[in-house]
Amino acid sequence: MRTSVKKLVTAVSTSVALMGAGHAAAEIQIGIAGPMTGPVAQYGDMQFSGARMAIEQINANGGVMGEELVAVEYDDVCDPKQAVSVANSLVNDGVRFVVGHLCSSSTQPASDIYEDEGILMVTPASTSPEITERGYELVFRTIGLDSMQGPVAGNYLASLNPERVAVIHDKQQYGEGIATAVRDTLKDKGVEIAMFEGITAGSKDFSSLVTKLKQADVDYVYYGGYHPELGLILRQADQAGLDTIFMGPEGVGNKDINTIAGEAAEGLLVTLPPAFDQKAANQELVKAFEAKGEDPSGPFVLTSYTAVQLIADGIEKAESTDPFEVAEALRSGSFETPIGTVEYDKAGDMESFEFVVYEWHSDGSKTPVN
Amino acid sequence: MQDLLYFSQQLINGLTIGSAYALIAIGYTMVYGIIGMINFAHGEIYMIGAYTALIAITGLATLGIAWLPVILIVALVCAMIVSSAMGWAVERVAYRPVRGRHRLIPLISAIGMSIFLQNYVHLAQGSRNIGFPALIEGSFQFGSEGAFAMSLSYMQITIFVTTLICMTALSLFISRSRTGRACRAVSQDLGMANLLGIDTNRIISATFVIGAALAAVAGLLLGMYYGSIDPLFGFIAGLKAFTAAVLGGIGSIPGAMLGGLILGVSESMTSGYLSGEYKDVVSFGLLILILLFKPTGLLGKPEVEKI
Repeated sequence: MRTSVKKLVTAVSTSVALMGAGHAAAEIQIGIAGPMTGPVAQYGDMQFSGARMAIEQINANGGVMGEELVAVEYDDVCDPKQAVSVANSLVNDGVRFVVGHLCSSSTQPASDIYEDEGILMVTPASTSPEITERGYELVFRTIGLDSMQGPVAGNYLASLNPERVAVIHDKQQYGEGIATAVRDTLKDKGVEIAMFEGITAGSKDFSSLVTKLKQADVDYVYYGGYHPELGLILRQADQAGLDTIFMGPEGVGNKDINTIAGEAAEGLLVTLPPAFDQKAANQELVKAFEAKGEDPSGPFVLTSYTAVQLIADGIEKAESTDPFEVAEALRSGSFETPIGTVEYDKAGDMESFEFVVYEWHSDGSKTPVN
Repeated sequence: MQDLLYFSQQLINGLTIGSAYALIAIGYTMVYGIIGMINFAHGEIYMIGAYTALIAITGLATLGIAWLPVILIVALVCAMIVSSAMGWAVERVAYRPVRGRHRLIPLISAIGMSIFLQNYVHLAQGSRNIGFPALIEGSFQFGSEGAFAMSLSYMQITIFVTTLICMTALSLFISRSRTGRACRAVSQDLGMANLLGIDTNRIISATFVIGAALAAVAGLLLGMYYGSIDPLFGFIAGLKAFTAAVLGGIGSIPGAMLGGLILGVSESMTSGYLSGEYKDVVSFGLLILILLFKPTGLLGKPEVEKI
């Protein structure tokens, strides 16, 4: 995949050079690293479609400082080991700006390499707080943190006055992190936590867990993790006659959960970034996506678009393609983007980011809960 | 009463998964019994069985056939045929050319086969989780109103009954039929069986085919029971079934059945009374204990060293 993209890039740039000298002679490579395959490839699609669109539009408007942006795509399968090898090949390919990765557990090890090698990374989807806690200079995100998302979910659950809540997670960095944040919020509010337990990501049999939830007689179940497991839990709970409401983070909020859980997905509560595609200011952009036959409503489409735009704006502002200077420019500036005004703190987190509670429906649509 | 219902529910959960493990474990144990080697591509054959069944079900649905018994039987037959063909092909490609060489060679070629099949399905079917329609819905509920109710779903009953039928049929086949007798002879002494005029190549192919057909049955059942399949789900199931086979005594068919049930129940009891996090720790811990203290397994016979 990567070599074919590169070949294509070489072919195109050669033909451009042959056609007219002087026009977009140099180019800036933007690496896009995320899961093209594997269990969460659905999210990867959002990331790639958002980032590609941004690159396309920026190039159509004359590129960055007269130079063309070129996408170089990498598949990390949401696997930490693959993410490290992807990061190394990015280094070898001389890419200096990355939009990625998607899964927190991939972003974390990859960012070590990027920081060492002087590559600027903007993750459009990783919400684990640890990623920006290490004082790295070149790490940014266009999404909020689990320490923001967890309390939103926890406070919402607490506002429903439940007697007992179970908190389940998939033992991965993202899932366990957010589940812990939710549990702590609920505890602070005085809600009884009946269970706090991990499952194994990738396993399929949750009959024992469902039985346990039934026995514990909980009102709500919070699940920290991704949709393949929660989809199965919902379906198996439905079949065993377990009557509770489930809630999950943005990792479960995509249409693939409906193909697994079917009717059982109705009524699932999900915290998601606000629907940026509904904003009046973004309607032109939404039309551009629709014209390409792509769906801009996924939670990471416009965050990925923004990640590319920020890199471009940062380069323009710094008047340099040196990642350290661009990072400095990003920290000092304020940028108008499809996800709102972006200002960065020292760690590389956005000053503010909102999460909204949605109710998920069995046809894959969602409605905000007030 | 509550506790008893809870215990029975976990027991049912465990026995359901355990029966399916047993079906897959048969494939490992039969192949080992006859040629003394582990078929590492067996988990993949189970996965392919589940995919074939799903394709058949989707195909029938587009044709507008909605009568459940027809769907199930067609799906089952398709899955068994395709998986058996795969089992046969695995033996022809990965085992027969290297049989009789150093025993690491077929082991490695089988692992290669497994990687190939896994990635083939990745390419052909995509790498996402695909939902598997729940064809058999509904359950019996036991317990009083407003308290914990034990449920025994029709799907679980289907799994028990199907496993029972398959196991009985297999036992009869091994003990009564001509091919079954030949199987037993080959497993006792391949060289001697060959001298006595048994077509050992055919018998070895037959064991791969029978194991694959049973794995396909498990693929269809577990696909429906769990609710989704993906190209990687054969790997873990394969490991679990292998553990079950070793637990019961590899090479022994009743051992595989017993091993599967013990493994299933111990898993569900662990997640029921301890924590789901320790499920796999317990199943593979069990494997280590058995290998340390009773390497022949619960029902296995002591034998000269093999892999």
